[in-house]
Amino acid sequence: MSNAEIKNYTEFVLPSSIVSKADVSRLVREFEAVDNALTTKKVKNKAGVESADAPAMSPQLQAFLEANTVDLENTGARSAYVKQLRLLKDKVRVMNMTFAVITDPESLQELIVWVRESVHPQTVIEAHLQPALVAGVYLRSQNHVFDLSVRNALKAKRGELEKELGALRGSK
Amino acid sequence: MGIFQHKQDPKKSPSDSLLPEEAHIFDEYFREELRNHGRWYFEKVINENGELFKRDLEQTIAAVNADLKEHVTKQLDGAIAQVNQELKEHTAKQLQDQFDEYSKTLKDAQEQALKSMTESTETLKQQHDELRSALQKNVKDQQDLLHNAFEDNKTQIASMKEAQDAALKWLNQSAQALNDQYQNINTTLQKNVAAQEEMLVSSFQSNMAAIVEHYLLGALGDQFDLKAQLPAIIKQMEENKQAIADDMKL
Repeated sequence: MSNAEIKNYTEFVLPSSIVSKADVSRLVREFEAVDNALTTKKVKNKAGVESADAPAMSPQLQAFLEANTVDLENTGARSAYVKQLRLLKDKVRVMNMTFAVITDPESLQELIVWVRESVHPQTVIEAHLQPALVAGVYLRSQNHVFDLSVRNALKAKRGELEKELGALRGSK
Repeated sequence: MGIFQHKQDPKKSPSDSLLPEEAHIFDEYFREELRNHGRWYFEKVINENGELFKRDLEQTIAAVNADLKEHVTKQLDGAIAQVNQELKEHTAKQLQDQFDEYSKTLKDAQEQALKSMTESTETLKQQHDELRSALQKNVKDQQDLLHNAFEDNKTQIASMKEAQDAALKWLNQSAQALNDQYQNINTTLQKNVAAQEEMLVSSFQSNMAAIVEHYLLGALGDQFDLKAQLPAIIKQMEENKQAIADDMKL
């Protein structure tokens, strides 16, 4: 595999199991570890020393390798991927999302799929908890805030409620 | 003593004059019997005489006691009468002396009081004369003073009357001004009350809206988990998709 075939980090496809920036950091560390292990193995093989089997990989790393068709046998390609992954870790888009209830991995994966398809492919989510929101989400992107919570909806409709109460008082 | 009148001479024993035949009869035993008999008789006589003597002595003592009592009573009566007489005389003398002394002292005091009263009367008379002169002078001064004061007061009363008229006029004007102010305050107060009422009603509506909102927040709080909310969240994000995407691509 030549360097021309190496994907740029902007072209990486992130699997749905990688949701947060911590997941990306873990992916980078694991890829570096695998790269070191494979390099060591290759050197030992050249020296005629028996080495262990291929290093164990997490499901997230495996999914990433499959989604991006990474050839781990190519030492140069591995090094290039390490660089691109480090860049990805620094440049990845972070979307802060605050929910009213505790999040579960499945829901977050479903949400990240929609975000990567609809907003940006290199996006991760930082989930937070705020029960006062009642329901919905409080979303903070790069420069904007989108309050999509029920609390905000009720606040927006408070005028209508007061109007209704005034009408009720007038009728009585 | 009578009981010893027949005592024989002890130097001459009866046996000395007896014949030997008689001496044989009056032997030692018989003499002992006689002595015993004599002793018994002697004791009897002694006892009888003792009783007689005791009786005589008791009678004598009783007579002496009676006489002694009578004598002592007589002596005491005499002494008491004498003491009473002397005491009366002494008391009368003492009282007389004291009466004389009191009379003298009283007489001196009366003379002294009379002298003082006489002097006081003269002094009072002199003071009375002085006071009468001073009073006459004061009355004259007071008459002059009152006359002047009356004239001054007359002027002052005239000026006070003018001041009262001015004050009355000012009071009427003040009352009118107060009435106007009262009317203005009443109007303003009514307006303020209406505004306060409106504000309170608005505040009540606002608070009621907050209460309803709080109730809804509490009621809906834990009803849905994230999985249940996800379609709604994605729908809302879909509505804002373009804005989010534009912001994330910057």
